[in-house]
Amino acid sequence: MMISSSYLLSLTTFIYLGAAVLYIVHWLFRLKPVGYLATITTVAGVITHTAGIGARWIESYKIGYGHAPFSNLYESLVFFAWSTAVVYLFVEFKTKSRIIGAFATPFAALAMAYASFNPNVRDSIEPLIPALQSNWLLIHVITCFMGYAAFAVACGLGIMYLVKDMYSNKETGLLGELPGLKSIDELMHHTIIFGFLWLSIGIITGAIWANQAWGTYWGWDPKETWSLITWLVYAAALHARFVRGWRGKKIAFMSIVGFCSVMFTYFGVNFLLSGLHSYGSQ
Amino acid sequence: MKRQKKTGNPVLNLFSSVKLAVTLFIVLAVTSIVGTLIPQGENLQFYLEHYGPNFFSIIQSLSLYDTYHSWWYVSLLVLFSLNLLVCISRRLPYVLEFMRRDSLDVTEDRLLRIPLKASWTLNPGLDEEKKGTLLKTFLRLAGRRKRERILEDGSKVYLVEKGKWSYWGFYGLHFSLLIIFVGTIVGNIFGFGGNIMLTEGDSTDHIYAKGNTLIPLGFTVRCNKFEVKFYDNGAPKLFKSDLTIIDGGKEILRKEVLVNSPLTYKGVRFYQASYQAIPAVRMVLIPPNGKKRRFAFLAYRKIFVPGEDLELGVMQYLPNIHGVPAVRLWVADSKGDSQVIWLLKGRTEKFRLDNTIYKVVLDNIQNRYMTGLQVKKDPGVPLIYLGCLGLIFGIFIAFWVPHRRLWLLVKPDGEKTKVLIAGQSNKNKDGFKKEFQRLTKDIQAVIGGSKV
Repeated sequence: MMISSSYLLSLTTFIYLGAAVLYIVHWLFRLKPVGYLATITTVAGVITHTAGIGARWIESYKIGYGHAPFSNLYESLVFFAWSTAVVYLFVEFKTKSRIIGAFATPFAALAMAYASFNPNVRDSIEPLIPALQSNWLLIHVITCFMGYAAFAVACGLGIMYLVKDMYSNKETGLLGELPGLKSIDELMHHTIIFGFLWLSIGIITGAIWANQAWGTYWGWDPKETWSLITWLVYAAALHARFVRGWRGKKIAFMSIVGFCSVMFTYFGVNFLLSGLHSYGSQ
Repeated sequence: MKRQKKTGNPVLNLFSSVKLAVTLFIVLAVTSIVGTLIPQGENLQFYLEHYGPNFFSIIQSLSLYDTYHSWWYVSLLVLFSLNLLVCISRRLPYVLEFMRRDSLDVTEDRLLRIPLKASWTLNPGLDEEKKGTLLKTFLRLAGRRKRERILEDGSKVYLVEKGKWSYWGFYGLHFSLLIIFVGTIVGNIFGFGGNIMLTEGDSTDHIYAKGNTLIPLGFTVRCNKFEVKFYDNGAPKLFKSDLTIIDGGKEILRKEVLVNSPLTYKGVRFYQASYQAIPAVRMVLIPPNGKKRRFAFLAYRKIFVPGEDLELGVMQYLPNIHGVPAVRLWVADSKGDSQVIWLLKGRTEKFRLDNTIYKVVLDNIQNRYMTGLQVKKDPGVPLIYLGCLGLIFGIFIAFWVPHRRLWLLVKPDGEKTKVLIAGQSNKNKDGFKKEFQRLTKDIQAVIGGSKV
């Protein structure tokens, strides 16, 4: 008897909430053991999460629908949270800094909580309509969400930068625990580049898929257009930095604006506008 | 990379500036929002009703009903392409010059100006054996592919260089965007697109594009069968058209077309787009002369009965009235007399048009499917895909492939020998620094001596 995916995924929600609390406690009270615990909790969350997604995949085959769990809003939220957690762990591993966790894991926890507790988000496994019956579904969703997750982390870094920058006594107390402004800036820049690469691949795989399904690689569908808007915002940030020497505050601001655009591409388009991607709203 | 020089031409300077590019990114991002808020491609009446006369005049003058093909949006895109074109063509000479520059073209002084360096003075100098070990250690850590040169002052310099080509990454990714633009232009000029509705059994050798222009295909496509399936919850599971291509009178190709699996023939692709179920009617008509005429036609359209002053059409179909299918039939003559009658399957009915009495029997009726196919030819697609591939690889190379150089200089100085290593990387500088420190330590261990 297998444990059901919905049980595993609800459990994941609480594990991430716990991890977010631990990261914040670790930051506020500078307790090293709590930091270790936070990392362990996040890793446990990702493992449970991965098992939950895997179980849901298997369950869809058992029902007879048989498709990857990336086909509706619930499943995409679950995957968004997963990507954010994984990208964050990668950043933590790379930077050896746990402070970022206090800013990044809440995104994963919120996405999971929203998916699990909002009554408008249906969590039943549904069959794939003909338009989604394609191998591109898997590739397109994974690449887009790697981009979204990286931008979520970059946005967390942007907020962190602005918070630290706001106070004059940057190097003491709570703010002193944060990485230096220059390191945050560098890290944010690299995370944006990483997200930009994945978003580009996501847009391109979407274009190839659209050409395969509808005969047009670009149709100015609101989702497509908003992904282009997002792409343009980050392209502007990268060029401004590269050529105009924009650093720090300006890039942090761009990173937050960019993530608002990501969020609108992801949610706003589905709820407020109509178009070919409307299956993502249920 | 070196900044390009300004020319005297202000227009050229404007178009080669990245400032313009950043401005265009932001302007395009903001203006693109408009077309996602206002529904696109409706008829003008729709906008008048939804937005009122004031906003309607703005919508009309700025073509906001088709934002992304409006003159001002296309102008922005043209501006963007020009900016890109000028930027990359004016940077090409600098890239080429940079690529030509030889990293072995160094002197001791120049190496000493590099931040990442270490040097030793050995007394007594290096013997051949020790020199070999030194070089081996250097190559083991720096990389195997070395080049070497003897400088004017008799010192020998070795260079291991990797990823110089990565400067092409930036160039390639921007050039790829241009290829994508060219691809869209090629598609717009040499491609076409349109829709066809084909009833099962029917075929066509042309399509209608937007604005009802007829486009001949140069071959014939036939729909043999259409199939639709649903899941238990009512959601569609499958739309499938069984199509045959007939070219030069021969059946060339047969394929089942699904939503994600189009048919391609001679560059023209057929996509499953929609479907309709249409009742197909078989009827017997008995004019006053008593000669029975049988014919079959599809519902919801007017047909002329040949040889009679009569047109008719089925307006409504009810599959079950007391167990019998029924249709509402509209009949008319050229003088303007018309009638609507109900026909039950198998029952003979009469109608009179301008003193002519006809008898009519509904022989049979059943749903026939009509498949809606999107037809598209776009010779620009290979260019688009090429550009996309270039863009992805370009971004990856530009940001992740470093250009690294490590120099080893051995300078005989009378009895003594001077050993100098220096390194430079344009990416992942922290990682490179660690590697360089390890190299320094290993060389120290091999040659000993005093580090300067």
